[in-house]
Amino acid sequence: MYSKVDLTATKRRSSPFFILVLAFMLCAGWSAAAQAASLNSEFMDPVRPAAYRVRAALADPLGESPYQRELHESIQHNLGFLPFLQIIDRNSVPGGSSLPVASEPGIDFERFRLVRADNLITCIWVAPNQVELRAYEVGSGMFIFGARFDVPNVSSLDGVADEFCAQYMEKLTGRGDFFRSMIAFSKNNGPKRQDVWIVKPTGGSLRQVTNMQGNAISPTWSHDGRFIVFSHIDEQSHALGVWDSINNRVQRLRFPGNTVIGPCFLPDNTVAVSLTDGRNPSIFQLDHSFRKKKTLISSWAIDVSPSVDASGTNMVYTSSRQGNPHIFMTNLKTNETRRISNDGKYNTDPHISPDGTLVVFARQMGSGHRIFVHDLRTNREQQISFGPGSDEQPEFAPDSYFIAFTSTRSGSKKIYLTTRHGGEARQVDTGAGEASFPTWGIRKP
Amino acid sequence: MNKLLRVSMMLVLATAMLAGFGCTKSEVGTTGEGDKPAQVDSTITNIEEAANVISTAPIFFAYDRYDLDNAAKNDLKVKAGLLIKFPQLKVQIAGHCDERGTEEYNLALGERRARAAYDYLVLLGVRPAQLATHSYGKMYPAVQGSNEAAWSKNRRDEFRVTR
Repeated sequence: MYSKVDLTATKRRSSPFFILVLAFMLCAGWSAAAQAASLNSEFMDPVRPAAYRVRAALADPLGESPYQRELHESIQHNLGFLPFLQIIDRNSVPGGSSLPVASEPGIDFERFRLVRADNLITCIWVAPNQVELRAYEVGSGMFIFGARFDVPNVSSLDGVADEFCAQYMEKLTGRGDFFRSMIAFSKNNGPKRQDVWIVKPTGGSLRQVTNMQGNAISPTWSHDGRFIVFSHIDEQSHALGVWDSINNRVQRLRFPGNTVIGPCFLPDNTVAVSLTDGRNPSIFQLDHSFRKKKTLISSWAIDVSPSVDASGTNMVYTSSRQGNPHIFMTNLKTNETRRISNDGKYNTDPHISPDGTLVVFARQMGSGHRIFVHDLRTNREQQISFGPGSDEQPEFAPDSYFIAFTSTRSGSKKIYLTTRHGGEARQVDTGAGEASFPTWGIRKP
Repeated sequence: MNKLLRVSMMLVLATAMLAGFGCTKSEVGTTGEGDKPAQVDSTITNIEEAANVISTAPIFFAYDRYDLDNAAKNDLKVKAGLLIKFPQLKVQIAGHCDERGTEEYNLALGERRARAAYDYLVLLGVRPAQLATHSYGKMYPAVQGSNEAAWSKNRRDEFRVTR
């Protein structure tokens, strides 16, 4: 859809900017190296994660193109999803944000310093179908990075905005996966009918991927982005649904015991899922042909909702083995098991962050379920959602920073985004109908 | 002789301990005097009527529980009597939950509820080939409402004759 020319290698990097980058890596906890450093403690405060926000200004686009306004709006829309970034109102810039030139030398950084901007993003249409996007550090006037994109048609605009924002976020935090990811989810489609759909976390590219009688729930994306598997429940049975993105076909696989609950992919692209073998729902690993390979978790009680970190080391799940449903974690290499949730009487829907440091789950409270994050390094627990309604089914994005969850706060089930630190939740536009069971996948190129 | 007595006593003790500790909250229990199918109402001679009786009455459960209370057991005895009398009947037992739990856990809980009824019917003499289990979790409440009156009617097993 588009090509890009990375200008980074030909330009100088700014050392003050990278100090800022380090600070944000610390704030988000994405870099082991950054965690080891000791910078401003304000950035490390998990309760006030957005104590400092990067202030970014967008200069008005230069050059002629029919797509000028749409691309500008699309970038602004995307950047609005980053809670650690604040976009400066163009009307507050003295002299305005319209520049005679949009590349160094000659950029008037002073007017952006006056509104305390940290970064400036410029946009030059070098041809009606080609755009160059650049980011600068306002304080020093240093070039951060830039890229040139082909824009053959209007439908390629979102892709350009996504890729630029992914690269910009990467420069700020080390991870740009958010803008390259998709969310799969279940959407009600009439009575007794739910299908799997996909959408970008920033909205757009909404698409239905299954079309089956019955309920397609608990979708999960394979690590290579090829498959989505899900539980399918019709009047006769439970089954494992498998959607293959290559041929756009769905298989429905039944298992003895007639129970298929909450599948998840392991890093080797095999599936863990709760099946009933005898008396209790236990967690089994399936092989690449979706046949039972081995028992991962089995007890006298209910064991459901497995989630495995990106290294395949730890698996979290819900178990009622100690009476009430609680979150447990088993090391798949040593079989060592520990209980994660200790408060409350009903803790379910666990998901472990891909980096293996955090577990997010839903706890039943007086007025519904609420989302909590448990830090496996410190054993500290933090409530990150506060309703109203009920907040359930939280799942970490591939960057281990964003979290998608289902909430009834607007009256019906919809999907929202928040971060590992909580903060204001943003609804994902999933169109009409109730939406639930969000799960993240990386968009295929 | 003493040795034989000691071994016998240890065996008795071990059996008693197994019986005492083996029951979880889901267990149906061992067969006792009360665990017999109910006498079939002699007026029910028609298979359609039997199917209707079996599928009409759901059984109910306490919150986050899947053990059978006496009312549920009595209902199941009636169903067992009819299923034994009409062995050509097949029944799907579907477990349901109230709205308060989360979906995946409730699917497992519903399965345990269906399984509890299945196990008891088999204990009463119904052939396993006549029975199948299913769970819908909290997908299909019988009664709308967010209060105990509604929840108590939604924590249930439903019986669908599928012959």
